Amino acid sequence: MRRRRVLAGLAGAAVTAAGCGAPGRSGSGRPGDPVVLTLLSHYATEPLESALQRAVDAWNAGHDRVHVRTTAVRFQDLLTTLMVRQAAGQGADIIHPYSLWAGQLAQAGVVRPAPPEDAARIDRGFARAAVRAASVRGRIIGYPTEVQSYALYYNKRLLRAAGVDGPPRTWRELEETAYRTARRDRHGNTLVQGFGLSRTDDATVVNQTLALLASRGGSFLQADGSRSALGSPAGRAVFALERRLIDRGASDPGIDLMKAFPAGRVAMAVSGGWWTGSLKQTMGRDYRDVAVAPVPGPAPGNRGTVTTGFLLGVNAKSRYPREAWEFLRWLNDEVVPAGPRAGRAAAVRATRMSVLQMSVGTMTGRTRDMRGLLAAGGDPNLGPFVDALDYATPEPNGPRAQKAKALLRKNIEQMWTGRLSPDDAVRKAVHQVDQELSR
Amino acid sequence: MATTVGSADEDGDGGRAGTDALGRGDEDGGRAGVRAAGSRAGAAAHRRRRRQTVVAYLFLTPSLLFFAIFLFLPLLFAVLLSLSRWAGFDLADIRPVGTENFAALFARGSSFLTPVLSNTLLYALGTVVLALTGAVLVAHCITNLRFQGLWRTLYFLPIVTTVVAVGNVWKYMYEPGGLVNGVLNALGLRSVAFLQDPATALPSIVVVQAWASLGSAILVLTAGLKAIPRSYYEAAELDGAGQFTVFTRITLPLLRPSLLFVCVTQFITGLQSFALITVMTGEGGPGDATSVAALEMYQRAFKYGDWGSASAAALVLFVLILVITLVQLWLFRRKGEDA
Repeated sequence: MRRRRVLAGLAGAAVTAAGCGAPGRSGSGRPGDPVVLTLLSHYATEPLESALQRAVDAWNAGHDRVHVRTTAVRFQDLLTTLMVRQAAGQGADIIHPYSLWAGQLAQAGVVRPAPPEDAARIDRGFARAAVRAASVRGRIIGYPTEVQSYALYYNKRLLRAAGVDGPPRTWRELEETAYRTARRDRHGNTLVQGFGLSRTDDATVVNQTLALLASRGGSFLQADGSRSALGSPAGRAVFALERRLIDRGASDPGIDLMKAFPAGRVAMAVSGGWWTGSLKQTMGRDYRDVAVAPVPGPAPGNRGTVTTGFLLGVNAKSRYPREAWEFLRWLNDEVVPAGPRAGRAAAVRATRMSVLQMSVGTMTGRTRDMRGLLAAGGDPNLGPFVDALDYATPEPNGPRAQKAKALLRKNIEQMWTGRLSPDDAVRKAVHQVDQELSR
Repeated sequence: MATTVGSADEDGDGGRAGTDALGRGDEDGGRAGVRAAGSRAGAAAHRRRRRQTVVAYLFLTPSLLFFAIFLFLPLLFAVLLSLSRWAGFDLADIRPVGTENFAALFARGSSFLTPVLSNTLLYALGTVVLALTGAVLVAHCITNLRFQGLWRTLYFLPIVTTVVAVGNVWKYMYEPGGLVNGVLNALGLRSVAFLQDPATALPSIVVVQAWASLGSAILVLTAGLKAIPRSYYEAAELDGAGQFTVFTRITLPLLRPSLLFVCVTQFITGLQSFALITVMTGEGGPGDATSVAALEMYQRAFKYGDWGSASAAALVLFVLILVITLVQLWLFRRKGEDA
């Protein structure tokens, strides 16, 4: 114990001497002055930044005693910022982490379980998958805000051109449609991918694979999160499917899916609900060619996919946890009229966060809010994502989830590039992930 | 007297002063006076020296503080973390684990030795070989051209361009429908998935890194070439030596100090860099074909919250760089070059 104290002291001296050791402050601390809560999120780009700021401004206008100040960084910098500020005693009162990091943050003592009253509200008000994504070892640690379920995007024009009437409902149909829609030039360059496989980052590579895995009834980890479950027949079947699609020229992971799909050069792809907003903005009028369907299963009617998302939690070191939870309840649990910004949604009632998410083309895990807002004029392409919340599986979020995901990505990519056979890739991924989880 | 003897002692001749005092007392007064004056002068000089030393240290203090805060303390912290487990959030959570982090780096099945370290070495070596060869040839050509300043500036341009811009431009050029593949297709060849194929991804980035670092190497080498006296070339010409002989027997040997500098600095840069890789292949992909030590360290620390193994990896890389640099210095010294 003494040794640990000495180590911490030395480390503290190092950081303090480096000028980073000033304690975090929320408000002036003088009697009568309002409490100022800081909120760190990744809503650093439009329209997300303005949408969150509008909600915070509304809170600040109606609450003299507690004010909220937002700080936004790019998603790529969110974990680093969170880490560095926390170590320097400058952690924000309210944090907005990716649910994948929940276990890591809980283990490091950055977030604590939600108060019983809030936990009960979250448990009652949100879809099961959203609640599980915001929980660590069965204990809810924050309000699920943005929820992303995965579904099949398809380009109706490309499918029609290949003589395919509707979206595939089974894996067999998915493969047939992919082969029929794919086109290459005489040099072997891909003109149209039948089924796009994204290689952008861990999230896209792994989540599209986990969605297909869930559609076949499989999962990445066992229920208790202690070992990999990828070695199942479902795991091997998904890896084999992706390899087949590449070998037969229907997929080309070398092409950036995020650019190729909006350009009308990909017939189908599995991605999260957030993509609808981005596609709408990028594609303009061509967005009418885009439609969404559930991820096909091995047989018609088989359903399964994966969800991920973000949660709003209170920093364990915040001096004002009560006020922070009060703000989060106001934002995530109080039901209000949806307001004129949602167009015809004036008669609909939903939480402020649901309205905020719908206004930027994403959604919360409140299925009822989402269905109401969609019926009142939301993008119909979001429908399958809302439906998916009823049967989706949240991605694992244990303390070593990020590393396990990175290991899985590397093995998937090695399988895609032919360095490993599908079976070898499954075996290697299982071995590495188990080794990592046992640490 | 005590002061005198003491002062004489300080000057190193106390023994001689004692003998004088016993044998020739009459001369003692005069000599003692001279000595007293001398010792006073010595003491004053000593005080002056001490004052100068204090002033010198005062002037040095900002630099020493800078090094202490930004070099020594972080180094100490890194050593401490390499022997601990820490998630990066709370300093009170640092837990000592001994050499466990180092053992894990080299454990069976760990990817640190291969492919991470092997990729790092190949990346650095490839960059140095390409950049050095290219720089020697270009610098040699430039010294024989007119408008040398213009050529040097042109080759230096990649240095003043950000890595992100360089990486993205090359990434587009390497893409299946990009410029490089366009040329290959025009020649009737099939497209190559430069950054998507694990076999070609690392060499493709090595080419870009070498291209980007060519400018600084050329700058140093042209300065080195200009320092070679013309008389050697004139003598060689009189002896009838050909271009190749002159280059290998005169230019290269006399260019060795510049070559040593370029070689050492480029190798260190190559071993430490990861920005270009991040821009061009994201997270070291495909698979871990372009994963290098610095990227691995960054990911372990900031992404996986494993600061212990990240610091251990940093120290291993530090030792590796030190060893490689010492080997380079030794090799050049064997050839008679003082570093």
